[in-house]
Amino acid sequence: MSILAASSTTATFVAPHVEFGKLSPMLIAFGTATLGILVEAFAPRKQRYGIQVGLALVGIAASFAAVLALAGTTASVVAQGSVAVDGTTLFLQGTILVISFVAFLVIAERKTDQNQDAFAAQGASVPGSAAERETTRRGWQTTEVYPLLMFSVGGMLLFPAANDLLTMFVALEALSLPLYLVCGLARHRRLLSQEAALKYFLLGAFSSAFFLYGAAMLYGYAGSVNLAVIAQHVAHPTAGSTLLYTGVALLGMGLLFKVGAAPFHMWTPDVYQGAPTPVTGFMAAATKIAAFGALVRVLDVGLGVNSAENVWRPVMQAVAIITMIVGGVLALTQRDIKRMLAYSAILNAGYLLIGVTSTTAQARAAVLFYLPVYGVAIIGAFAVVTLVRDAGGEATDLSRWAGLGRRAPIPAALLAVFLLAFAGIPFTSIFIGKFAIFQAALAAGSPDLVIVAVLASALAAFFYLRVVVVMFFSDPLPQGPTIAHPSIAVKTALAVAAFATVALGVAPSLLLHLANNSAGILAK
Amino acid sequence: MSHGYLSPTGLEIAFVLIGLVTLGSGLLVVTVKNLVHAALWLLVCMGSIAVEYLLLTAELLAWIQVLIYAGAIIVLFLFGLMLTRAPIGPTEELNVRHRWPALIVGLGAAGTLVTVIVQAYQHTWFDPRGAVPLGSGEALGTQLFKYWVLPFEVLSVLLLAALVGAIVLSRRGRDTEEAEA
Amino acid sequence: MDTYVPVLILGLIAGGFAVFSVIMGAMTGPKRYNRAKYDSYECGIEPTPQPVGGGRFPVKYYLTAMLFIVFDIEIVFLYPWAVAFDSLGWFGLAEMFLFILTVFVAYAYVWRRGGLEWD
Repeated sequence: MSILAASSTTATFVAPHVEFGKLSPMLIAFGTATLGILVEAFAPRKQRYGIQVGLALVGIAASFAAVLALAGTTASVVAQGSVAVDGTTLFLQGTILVISFVAFLVIAERKTDQNQDAFAAQGASVPGSAAERETTRRGWQTTEVYPLLMFSVGGMLLFPAANDLLTMFVALEALSLPLYLVCGLARHRRLLSQEAALKYFLLGAFSSAFFLYGAAMLYGYAGSVNLAVIAQHVAHPTAGSTLLYTGVALLGMGLLFKVGAAPFHMWTPDVYQGAPTPVTGFMAAATKIAAFGALVRVLDVGLGVNSAENVWRPVMQAVAIITMIVGGVLALTQRDIKRMLAYSAILNAGYLLIGVTSTTAQARAAVLFYLPVYGVAIIGAFAVVTLVRDAGGEATDLSRWAGLGRRAPIPAALLAVFLLAFAGIPFTSIFIGKFAIFQAALAAGSPDLVIVAVLASALAAFFYLRVVVVMFFSDPLPQGPTIAHPSIAVKTALAVAAFATVALGVAPSLLLHLANNSAGILAK
Repeated sequence: MSHGYLSPTGLEIAFVLIGLVTLGSGLLVVTVKNLVHAALWLLVCMGSIAVEYLLLTAELLAWIQVLIYAGAIIVLFLFGLMLTRAPIGPTEELNVRHRWPALIVGLGAAGTLVTVIVQAYQHTWFDPRGAVPLGSGEALGTQLFKYWVLPFEVLSVLLLAALVGAIVLSRRGRDTEEAEA
Repeated sequence: MDTYVPVLILGLIAGGFAVFSVIMGAMTGPKRYNRAKYDSYECGIEPTPQPVGGGRFPVKYYLTAMLFIVFDIEIVFLYPWAVAFDSLGWFGLAEMFLFILTVFVAYAYVWRRGGLEWD
């Protein structure tokens, strides 16, 4: 609907019909978060942790139930064209919620670190000061992280569903802002954490500005921010395409920043390293899912016309190739496990971009399959990282991990499962995911991308396997890190993640089937 | 009614003149050596943009520009100068070492924008005072509640998150109730 | 646009008055300079000397600024709602109520955290 046409009816305002049912997953998430803030305001300090964790988990579960209830309904565009509730949306929302549930189990963990969670006792204390030690001694906690992360979950649910650029922007901010904050709240290595938060915030603000500028230009081009209207204008152009391509380029920068694709990946290693490790896992999995969902929607719904595809596809393919090369080569040189996993996340964004650029329903299904299996594995990997501890927090330097497999066989074996999956060893879920994406890319006629991806995978296998070798075939250090014994919640999360990684590698048909069914339905 | 660039109306002349004020104050923001002066020049820049909006009959946008940007954002800038150890007087630190690359990037960006806008609209003539009173508060209010209810409500949630974040990052000490006890 | 002519005239009168006052003050007033007159004016009290190195202001100012910005943005949305209130009816009222309620949750939180105290 053009904004000009709409405004002629200014005189007679008819209250719009708001489809609360279709919007319920995000409304529940935002409502839970707001309730959490009220808990922060009125519950006594000692009880906050328990209430917040319970509330967040119940909220995620309720939201997931809402997604399940919507699963059978017909695809439709609701909230006056702002939100598309279709198979792809619901699949991604369900995935984000499952991933968030597992991530919250790890985030809420207190047993690994002397009955403290992973967050600073008081974010405003000067690192290393007496005030900081005092607040820690009193056992204060920044329980605000749970409602803040719920805000982020709400934004992530809205981001891949947004059907116009304005809603998409608001969702982008709602998902990013809490993450900027939480990144700066790590309990240990405060300075590194604060630096990460500042970098993430500044670069994120820049990328948001690019996104907004791009959205403004597309509005100038089509007279609407609605993706369907933009698609109509692209198909039947009424004006020159300068605004269109400039707008798409700027919009693309904003989105590629969020998915962590090169050359917009600079923030990833620093932020992944500095953020509290459980939050890193959550970001690496859930943000990636939401951002790829939004990217798919912009490209397939807004710019899915052949004439436009021919313009953006070569650019995106180049981005995919650069991303895979940067991720693969730089991961090789890392000495820190969190940084290595960050570069591996960049590499995986490259694989996913191959799927996105192929634009067939088959490729979209492959992307939909890849996102959850990758997300579960990366959360599991970061959860294992939280268990290996030194006096100053987690021991993330790879040299400290020597011989871990002999001293702590179970965590090391779990990490080995995730790393072997990343490396694309057969009978793991990510192997199936990669296979599906490469197959779709070959069918769509881009073998060059697949060749680069296979080479990058071979390179990647080297650094994943190096960690496995260090863990199992090196002698343990005399003063090696200690292995924390996690609570039953983290054990469950790890078991679920490892089981899913193996089971979906051996018997992927159920999820593949679901992804195939969901990918075909894209409300326009 | 014929449109042309050769016989501008008074309004168009005013638009160009205020545009020059905007450009000049913008240049001063990045060239003066005194941080506080730069912030005050930014105020002039924001204010003149508000007048440009007004000349294009985007009334509400003009007032938002005054309220949020000229009012709140500049205040936040000055607070920022106060809270960090930013020098109040003239300082050599503001001498940009990469002056020439910055100039090239700036001119490049401006050139691109001008090209894009000219390319897109060279054959289009907008009459800002046309039949559609789009810029008024009433029209935008109706639009807002008709089409943008969901982003509007999500925005309130975003504001909530921002404020909570500000407290989390900056507030020290006990809660109200604990201080009383 | 014509509605802005009175605003413009008022602005011109105000600006003219300011310029007139400064010029007339400089022309007609006596000029007796001393040290007190060269000091910065701080509401009549002795100016606080600035500590060496510039000193640092407490972060409480920042909190106040943040509160101000958030409510400023809220006001911006109240304005179009208020002028279109008659046509928006109950729906508009309900939506605006929800909006303000959400922002006031933040207010309750700030109050309980002691963000409004200046100790």
